[in-house]
Order: sequence, then structure tokens, then C-alpha cells
Amino acid sequence: MKNNNERFLTKISMVLFFLKGSKALFMFGVIFSMMVAFLDMINPKIIQYTVDYLIGDSQSAMPFYMQMIVNITGGRDYLRAHIAAIACVVVFIALICAIFRYLNKILNSMAAEKLICRMRDILFEHISHLPFAWHSENHTGDIIQRCTSDVDTIKNFLSEQLTALFRIVIMIGLGLTFMIQIDLKLSLISAAFIPVIVLYSLFFHNKIGSAFENADVEEGKLSAIAQENLTGVRVVRAFGREKFERERFEKKNTEYTKMWVHLMKLLAAFWTSNDMISGMQGMTVLVAGSVFCVQGRITVGELIAFVAYNAMISWPVRLLGRVISEMSKAGVSIDRLRYIMNSEVEQDEEDAYEPPLDKDIEFKNVSFAYENGTAEILRDVSFKVEAGKTVGVLGGTGSGKSTLMYLLDRLYNLPEGNGSITIGGVDIHKIKMHYLRENIGFVLQEPFLFSRTIFENIGITSKSAKMEDVRKAAKMASLDETIKNFDEGYDTFVGERGVTLSGGQKQRTAIAQMLVSNPPIMIFDDSLSAVDTETDAKIRAALDKHAGQATTIIISHRITTLMHADHIIVLSHGKLVEEGTHDELVKNNGLYRKIYDIQIQGGGEGIA
Amino acid sequence: MPNNTDEKNTATTLPWFGIPRLLPFLKPYLPEMAVMVFLGSMVSFVDSMIPLFNRYALNNFVAKGTVKGIGYFALVYAVTLLVKLVMDFTSAFMCGDIEMSVDRDLRNAAFNHLQELSFSYFNQNNVGYIHARVMSDTGKIGMMCAWRMMDIVWNGSYIIFVLVVMLTVNVRLAMYIIALIPIAILLVIYFQKHLIVLNRKIRELNSTITGNFNEGITGAKAIKTLVVEDKIQEDFMEDTEKYRKSAVHATHFSAMFTASVTMLSSCALALVLWRGGKITMEGVMEIGTLSVFLSYALGILEPIQNIIVTLSELIAVQVNVERFTRLLNQESDVADSPEVIEKYGDTFNPKKENWEDLVGDVEFKDVSFHYPDGTEYVLEHFNLKVPQGSNVAIVGETGAGKSTLVNLVCRFYEPTMGQVLIDGKDARERSQLWLHSNIGYVLQTPHLFSGTVRDNLKYGNPSATDDEIWKALKLVSADTIVERMDKGLDSDVGEGGDMLSTGEKQLLSFARAILADPRILVLDEATSSIDTVTEKAIQDAISVVIKGRTSFMIAHRLSTVVDADFILVVKDGKIIERGTHKELMKNIGGYYHQLFSRQFEEMEVRAAL
Repeated sequence: MKNNNERFLTKISMVLFFLKGSKALFMFGVIFSMMVAFLDMINPKIIQYTVDYLIGDSQSAMPFYMQMIVNITGGRDYLRAHIAAIACVVVFIALICAIFRYLNKILNSMAAEKLICRMRDILFEHISHLPFAWHSENHTGDIIQRCTSDVDTIKNFLSEQLTALFRIVIMIGLGLTFMIQIDLKLSLISAAFIPVIVLYSLFFHNKIGSAFENADVEEGKLSAIAQENLTGVRVVRAFGREKFERERFEKKNTEYTKMWVHLMKLLAAFWTSNDMISGMQGMTVLVAGSVFCVQGRITVGELIAFVAYNAMISWPVRLLGRVISEMSKAGVSIDRLRYIMNSEVEQDEEDAYEPPLDKDIEFKNVSFAYENGTAEILRDVSFKVEAGKTVGVLGGTGSGKSTLMYLLDRLYNLPEGNGSITIGGVDIHKIKMHYLRENIGFVLQEPFLFSRTIFENIGITSKSAKMEDVRKAAKMASLDETIKNFDEGYDTFVGERGVTLSGGQKQRTAIAQMLVSNPPIMIFDDSLSAVDTETDAKIRAALDKHAGQATTIIISHRITTLMHADHIIVLSHGKLVEEGTHDELVKNNGLYRKIYDIQIQGGGEGIA
Repeated sequence: MPNNTDEKNTATTLPWFGIPRLLPFLKPYLPEMAVMVFLGSMVSFVDSMIPLFNRYALNNFVAKGTVKGIGYFALVYAVTLLVKLVMDFTSAFMCGDIEMSVDRDLRNAAFNHLQELSFSYFNQNNVGYIHARVMSDTGKIGMMCAWRMMDIVWNGSYIIFVLVVMLTVNVRLAMYIIALIPIAILLVIYFQKHLIVLNRKIRELNSTITGNFNEGITGAKAIKTLVVEDKIQEDFMEDTEKYRKSAVHATHFSAMFTASVTMLSSCALALVLWRGGKITMEGVMEIGTLSVFLSYALGILEPIQNIIVTLSELIAVQVNVERFTRLLNQESDVADSPEVIEKYGDTFNPKKENWEDLVGDVEFKDVSFHYPDGTEYVLEHFNLKVPQGSNVAIVGETGAGKSTLVNLVCRFYEPTMGQVLIDGKDARERSQLWLHSNIGYVLQTPHLFSGTVRDNLKYGNPSATDDEIWKALKLVSADTIVERMDKGLDSDVGEGGDMLSTGEKQLLSFARAILADPRILVLDEATSSIDTVTEKAIQDAISVVIKGRTSFMIAHRLSTVVDADFILVVKDGKIIERGTHKELMKNIGGYYHQLFSRQFEEMEVRAAL
């Protein structure tokens, strides 16, 4: 879409951007992990020399660090007499090793957590500044998955796999070096198994990856059946379809289980056969080593050390294939985040400013179609909302009423050449976006409540909301009584972890929320649809008193809600078909009259 | 809605890790489990024997300076590995099989039990909570019954074998290593205790962050219109920072843990090197035996660590076992008596041949009722006769308790006192399925299942033909909706029907109810925002559907109320007025009169102009 100005052209550039502030920590972590690997490798050496020099009589050249250790601890003869000193050396090395191991882990974790913290913060901020059009084009579930599991994948890739790769390579390298020092031929025999194990494991992990994905998909399906059964429990019962539901669930459950059993079989086959290959390697080394030992090529101590090294590198070797195959997955995740980070955020035009907004609003020849939709939602709509007046908007589903308001609040941008929307003569694109939105109180059709207390929800727009303001707003929205009935009053938590509010209560909360900020422009997008008629009337009366100066736009299906407006416009299929006052429109015998008749007809007979 | 989550995430302790409670589910797999345990312990046996091969090679070939018989040795070694491979594979595969099978059986049991539980359960527990019992607890329990058991078998038998071998080879040297074991155990328990708490906290914080992402994305419209981006961001960053701190803190513990356990291993090694080296120098012990001890010294602490970690995981699963068995032990408030089941069959095996036809006379006889989770009576000595074919409307404000009567008619709840008579007989004398098979229910928020339009319409009548389906669609003028869809009846409605608008879903659910051809119909009208034209279509559909059936309607639209044979006015959960529209309107100043006139007052005034 926007290839010309992508922020991150390559995967690496984005990863480096995320890594800001944690790179050095990662590097130190890796350095310590190498030192740990090296120190781990010394133990078999010590055992080797202990066996050969002290217990046995063989002579062989010592590398410099072993000589150093021997000299520091008092020389060979002393050591022979005081073998405990060797044990002390082992413990001493182990202590250093433990400290390094701790440092390696904690540094790596500090780096990894800093990284994931930064990634999450950046993503969250970026997403909340992306235009609303982007939000409606992308699926919520998909974005959340990118922000959670893809972020985890990348973190694991950098903090575990990449560092593990370093460590594995170092361990294998060091191990092989020590082994070659002992005997080249024996080392070659051992090393011959490495590519076999790595390739086998690489092949397997690549293959099993798709099987795991399939199993995940199946689990999702099974989970969805259970979910639907539970949410639709009334329908299931009322139609007496328990048996059908049971059969459907059991069938899917059996399929899913079969799939996993098959997967388990593959996994078991892999683990055990890989174990077997490693075992064979150990056996070959032992047999060949014994032969060499008997032949006098190597000493007993060297054989013991060699066997120990061989065992030490066997696990890293087995890990290598898995790490490599998992690293390939990270690439996909990085690209998935790159998609988000490369989407353009909303921005003000350079010469945008903050004019007063208590002025006339004018829609001039507005036409609009959504980017992914083909049909035009609005066609050449023009009307004026005088400052301080109330305008009602009537129209059926899909007539473009809400879109009109989204354009005014700049949730969607009106493309050039599609007409204009002005406030006090200023094109809304020349007005600073946040300033514009702050001054337009928009009560949405489906209000969204944050998982916080009711108090925090109502007062969310102001930095430090006062209780009295919040209560005043709640009273106007006929909500105060309801809230007082909750056990914890205004401190009641709403949403998933708290009280579930009804549709009407949510709408009233949203109205109160808007009233707290007291904006000069107010939009009610079918905001009273779930409120009963009595409360609807009460709220409107309260609003009329309060909102004397505010410019108000009310969208509704209910004639009773709109009839008192100073001016009413009627939309049908994106076109403005009628406008005027209630009385004018009723006389007009148009669409307004038709809807009015349907609505009044319901009770007409009964009253007559 | 009160949530039955009285248990916090704290670990509960059940005797024997709750396994006795799960015994019925494990029973079919006990023989397989026995084989698995045997093979698993044999694998550990072989593993613990491997160092002995080293010893043999060192003592018999290297020390003696001969390679005689080394071919034979290699062969035995290879065969041992092969035998181990076979046993290892078989036990691992069986373990996976048992895990998944137990898992499957538990899920089926939970799901089936839920099909028979009464509505009070569903009202007291939210869907997410119940869903987790079916999908996630079962998985964890399955894992526990198979892999955690296997871990204990593997590690436990390895430890035992190694101890036995060590003690046989050299008691004194063995004692040095054994002396270190209690230290290791204390160390692991100490760290594990802390780590469990820390990890739980991290998981909680992680789900908070996911929740934040969810809120930030689903609430984008609200956040933008309210211009609260910065405020939300601030709170978000507070949470991520909290997570970071906790995660690093947890790593501090786990890093100390690994460092000290490996340190202890090295101490064991040093000890063996020191004491073992000495006796080897003295010629008391062979060099091969020393190498065996060196391997064991390095190898025995890890299984000990594993076994303790496994035990702590077992303890953590207790919560799941507890919750799961509680679900299975949950008894239904509404259950058919054994005599009824004997005659009419149960939910899954109905005896339809004994079912009587349902005419549709409904009578409330001296019914008193309060909800199981409350004590206040919402109905007291209530009497009402609803002859076949009549239409009862229930009106009142939102949340006033209008669904109580409907719940009793459908036998979703049973009266606390008194009787609900269907065709003159107590509803409890016939099976629930019999009643439900004769009831049609259209919900306020229509619920469709994912699948095709046809699947959904046939839900209440699986044998309906396409002709019948189209006829039903036409009756409620929903045929145009389906005709407009790409694949007609085969079109997918999406998850929960979300490819359709609320109005469309509503009309389809009317068609579904008509196809089921019920004798009693329950309608819960929609309050959601539907434009006037669709609203008209739905009203017309209602009048078609209720014709000739006994119907109960929770009404919001006054037009449907006016034509009802009988109106019940509900306020604060109680029926305060009853009668026909005309009768009720005579009571000027009464609640119904108020309710009715208010809605039309403004319209009337204007209409008169």
C-alpha cells in the first residue's frame, strides 16, 4: 500500500530499533555464557590429570592453564599427598562458574525484559495513533496475536535462541578442541555423528511444525463448539438438542485426540531415536577409546576425559537442530510486526491550528466511500448546523448517518475533491486533530467501557476528575440512582472482572462521560436506543437545560427523540432526501412521514 | 452476576494429589499405565547402567591391556541401547496416548454433564469460567495423569537404581553422595516455593497486558473520540514496567537456583575425586569404579531436582482437579425423577414412543418462586390459566424480572412451591426433553451457531426439507435475506452468526422457531437498535408465528401488547397488574396506564396538531 515511505525497510533495521537499550546487556550475557562453557570444560581436564598424574603414572604435556593450577596449588608432589587440594580447586572453579552462570542468566533476563517492555510500549503507542480506518481494516484478534505471541516469539528468538546458538557453538567448539587435543582420530569418530544428529533434528522439527499448527487449528474448532454451546445454552435446551450437541462435540473431540495421539507418536519416535543415536555415539567412542587406550595411543585419564567431553557436547548438538528450525519462525513474526510498524500514523497538516469551535458546522457536497467497500456511503450531502442549535438525523440502517459523524470527528478523512466539512468556515483538516476531537463530544452507538471503575470511566477525559463533577454528569444521564444501587457505588469495577452493565446503562455512562468534559459540540449517535422511553425523555430534558450553548447533533430511529430538534435531516441510502422541522416534515408526506406513521400506528388504535 | 470463583489461584491440597477422585476416568487405562510404568522404570534402569559399561571397559580392557572380547562387549552395548529404544518409544507413546485419552474422556464428561445442568448454574457462572473447566482444566489433568506420573517414574527409579548400584560398588563413597542429597532437596524446595509464587504473578501480569492490548484495539474508536491516547498509554507502560520488574526478579531466583544446584553437583564431584582418588591411589578401588562414581556424582542431582519440580507441579494441578470434580459433582436444580426417566427416557436416550402430544394448555397453580441464589420470593401464590392458543404478554422495565415466568414455563427453573401444569399435568411428570421438544424459543439476542443458514434453520427440526425451510422463511419475510446471500441456504453465517445484522439474525431465528413447529412459543423481543422498516418486518413475523400457538412474549413494543389476550405487568420482579389491555387502561394512574401513555403522549400531542 504505502511502499514509498516505509519506516523499516528490512527486518534487521526494526529488530535493531527494538534492541535499543538492551544490546549491551545481551552482549555481556553472552560473554558470561561463554566463560561458563569454558569453565565447565575444565572439570574433565582436572579429572584427566588427576587420574593420569596423581593416581596413575603416565606423563603427558600439560596445557599452560593446568600447569598454572598445579603450580598455584603447590606442585605435583604436594598434590599427590594432599588430593583434597584438587577437590578444593574443583569447588573453587565451580564457585566462579556459579557466579558467572548467575550473571549470564540475570543479564540476559534484564536485556530480554527490557526488550519486550520496549516492544510492547512502542507497539501499543503506535497502534493507538494509527488512523481508525486501519483499525477497521484489520481484525482485532489478528492484531492482538501479533502484539502478544509474535512479540514473545521475537523475544525468545533474541534472548533464548540466538544466545543459545552462541553458547552451543562455543560449547561444541571448545569440546571438540579439547577432544582433538586428546586424540584427533577419536575426535573424528565422535564428530562424525554431529551432522547426522543436527540434520535429523532439523528435518524433524521442520516437519512437525505444520502438524502442530494443524493441531492448534483443530483445538480452536473444538473450543469454539464448546463456546457456542455455552453461550447458546438456552437455544440448545429450548430446542431439546442436547443429544445432537453431545454427538457433535464427541466427534470433534475424537478427531482432535486422534490428531494429537499421532503427533505424540511422531514426537516419541523422534526423542527416542535421537536418544539412541546419541547413545550409539557414546558407545562407539567408548569402544574405540578403549582400543586406543590398550594400544597406548591415549592414557586412562584421557579416555575418561574424552568420554566426559563427548557426553557434554551431546546435548548442545541435539539442541542445535531445534534452535535452527525455530529461528526460521522468528522471521515470519518479525515481518508480522513490521506490517504494524510500517503503517502510517495519523498526523496533523503542518499549518493546522486551533480556531474556536463554537461556530456553525457546514457539510458541503460530501461524498464518501470506504476504501475496501465499493458502494458510496454518502452522496453529495450538504447541510448546515447553526452554532448552539440542535439538529436531528433520521435514516435507516446503512443510510450513512454514522459515517457522516465519523467524518466530522475525523475518524475517517474526507478525501480531497469529495466536498468539504467546515466549522466556522475553517476546513476541519486545517484544525488540529486532537483539539477537534476534544471539542466534539461523541457518544457512540455502541459505547465502550474501560475495565476500570465507573468513576474512572466517567471521568476518563479529564486529568483529575472531581467526584462532584462526575456525579453531576451521572445525574444528568439518569445514572446516579443506578450506580448508588451497586455495592461499591462509583468504585464499582465494570467489564470482564467486574459488573456487567446493560446496554442502556452503558449508553448512559457514555453520555455522562461526555458531559464531564462539557464540549461545545455534542454528537449522540443513536445513543439512547437501549434506554427505555421514560429515561430517554428524562435525559433529553436534562440535556436541554444543560446544553443551552452547545451545538448538538442527534441521530436516532425514534421520532420522539428527534421531533424537538431545531432542524431535522432525513438520509436514505447516502442521500439527503428531506430536511426541515418536525411539523414541516410531517406535512411533507415523505419518508419522515412514513416512518412517523409506522411508529405511531402501533398504539394508535388502542388509544382511540 | 456473581461468579462462583470462590477459590483463588492458591494451591489446594487433596489427598494423593486428587488421584482417587479421578480414578473412574483412569480405570480403563490402568493396564496400559502399568505397562507404561514398568517400561519407564526399565528405561531408567538401562540409563543408570550405562556408566557401568564404561567401568567394564576401563577395568577389563584398559586396565588389563587387552581388547579380547571387545567386539562382544560392543554388541551387548548396542543391543542394550536397542532394547532401551524399543522400551523408551513404547512407554513414551503410551504416555501420550493415555494423556490424550484421559483428556478426551474428561472433556466429554464435562461437556455432557453441562448439557444436563440447570440454568441456575449458567446464571451463576460466566461462560469464560465454564469454558475453562471444559477446555483447560481437562488438559492439565490429562498431562498430570500421564507425563507428570512418567516424570516421577523415570526420575524416581533412576535415583533408586543409581543408589543401589553405588551402594553395591562402594558403600563408603556412596555415603558421601547420599549425604549431599538432603541439601539438594532443601535447596530445590526453597527456590521452588518462591518461583511458584513469582511465576503466578508473572502470568497474571501477562494476561493483564494482553487485556490492555485487547482494550486498546477494540476500544480504538472510543479512545480516539475521547482523545485519551496518552492516558491509556501511561497506564499501559506502568503495567509493562511492573511485568519487567517481576520477570527480572523471578529470573534472579531461578538463576540462583540453577547456579546453586550445579554448584552442588560440582561439590559432589569434588568429594568423589578427593575420597575416591585417595582410595584408588591406595589401590583399594579400581579406576573404572572411580569413573562410575564420577558420572553418578554429576548425574544424580538433576533427577532429584526434576522430581521435586514435578511434585510442585502436581500440587499446582490440584486447583484444576478440584474445580473439575466440583463441576462434575454439581447437581442440577431441575432433574427428571427416576420414574419419569423410566417412562420417557433421559436427555440422551429419549423414549419417544411413550411421549404424549402436547396440546398447549398452561396453568400456574398457586406458584411461589424465588431464584436458587436468592431468598426473596418473586412470585407468591400466583395463579394463571393460559388456554391453548392464547397469547400472554409480559411488560415492564428493563431488568424488572420479566423472564421469570418464561423460565418456569420452559422448566428452566422449577417452582419453589406450587405447580406448573402443562395440559393439566404437573410439568415434572414428564421429561424435560419432551417439554423442550414442544417449545419454541426466540431470544432477545438471537443466537445462531456457526455453520450454514440451513444448519441453523434445521436446528429445531433436523428432518425439515428445503421446501419447508423456504416456506418458513417466507412466512416471516426472511426469504429475501437468504436469496441475497451468495450461496443461499448453504451460505456461512459466521461465528455466532456475526456475518448477519441483528435484525437478520432475529428474522432467521423466527424461521427456525416456525420450522420446529412448537405448541408453545416463547418470545423475548429485541430492544436493540433496529431501523423502523426492519422493526416492522419483525412485528409482522411475530404475528404470523404466534397464530394458533400458546405464546408467552416478553414485550417491549406496545403494538404487540395491545393485541395480547392477557397482559402481566412486572415491576421490581413482581407482578403488580394483570388483565387485558382494555382492563388495564381503565385503571387510570396505574403503572400500566403510566407506562403506556408516556410513550404516546408526545406523539399524540404532535399528531393532534
